[in-house]
Amino acid sequence: MTNNPMTNKAMTNDRELDAWREQWSSVARPSPDFRRQVQKTIHAQHRRFWLGNLLAAAALVGTVILTVYQLSHQASRLEKGRAIGVFVLLFVAVTCRLWLMRGTWRAETRSIRAFVELWRRRVLAQIRGLQIGTYIAIGWLVFCAMLAAANWAAIRPEVVAHPTAYVAMMLSILLMLPVIWLGLMWLRRRKVRELNEVTRLLEETETMNDCQETTG
Amino acid sequence: MSIRSTDSFASRVTLVKETRRELEQQFERILGEHGAAISRLAYSYETVAGIREELTQEIALAIWQALPHFRGECSERTFIFRIAHNRGLTHVRRRRAPQQSLDELEEADEPVDTRPHLDEQLAKTNQRERLVSAVQSLPIAQKQMIVLMLESLSHAEIGEVLGITENNVAVRLTRARKALRETMGVTL
Repeated sequence: MTNNPMTNKAMTNDRELDAWREQWSSVARPSPDFRRQVQKTIHAQHRRFWLGNLLAAAALVGTVILTVYQLSHQASRLEKGRAIGVFVLLFVAVTCRLWLMRGTWRAETRSIRAFVELWRRRVLAQIRGLQIGTYIAIGWLVFCAMLAAANWAAIRPEVVAHPTAYVAMMLSILLMLPVIWLGLMWLRRRKVRELNEVTRLLEETETMNDCQETTG
Repeated sequence: MSIRSTDSFASRVTLVKETRRELEQQFERILGEHGAAISRLAYSYETVAGIREELTQEIALAIWQALPHFRGECSERTFIFRIAHNRGLTHVRRRRAPQQSLDELEEADEPVDTRPHLDEQLAKTNQRERLVSAVQSLPIAQKQMIVLMLESLSHAEIGEVLGITENNVAVRLTRARKALRETMGVTL
């Protein structure tokens, strides 16, 4: 009987694999209260999910009611403009979000690779969302300034009556602007870092595929 | 008309409750059957015991969330490993704390074996620690291959989990095994 080196190698490999599997199977067991903890988390998450949905629905309904009320009653031009502005702002924000999230709802297939690709698309959408969010914020500030200018006659007596309060309000707005700007920049940097990591992960998978193609 | 609609609403509520109960039972069974595999997979992504416990719970939670969408297009095992690895990837990105070395394995959450043949036990523990450490230090793509192989998934199942062809699995596995062997040699 001849000693085939290929067969020997395969047998060695299999013994090695069996040994690894045996060692691996004894690595870890779930902790005794694992199931209880998971059930607890699931119930908490279920409650949060419903509460979040209820709050979002209440906020939307509240905004619509407020807008309709202010438009139908004898509200001033300023109040009407503000109500319409808030409504348009909400509408634009939601529309932009839905538009940006196109193709990011679910993975094309159910594999890990598809998940990483989906992850990358989502991060890209979030980065674009931050950019558009910045433009919307600038637009909102311009709108507020224009609304105030258009209704200056109505606002002026109030400003004259309480100058300190208005100066304080303007100062706080001016201070908030750089804070918001820095916050947005920080968020963007975080997302770009995440994008780089996901891209690296994707490249790692693709490099392995390329190796396979060149060797195969 | 309103009675009929009330009946229909009540039956829907009953249906939802029944479906949820069935899902809970299925989830309980999955945790019973695959709980240990999920823990092992968490081990390959995280060395710190406390964080690993959290990761294990996150994986279980992700399985629970995905369970209503499972239509049986693949085996339950494939479905579970796919979710677990996806969650592991998310965890790797989020992780900030540096990876700890074999020291963490000392506090492995398993009972101390008081049987005789302590030398043999010690040797087995060392071998296991070397294997775990090597798996943890592999690049993500190879780590995923190796963990699925160690969990005895077939090439077809590994291909389904990773989204690659069976032939590709074979080549990648050979490469990953070689890398594992080399890493184990290094971690000696």
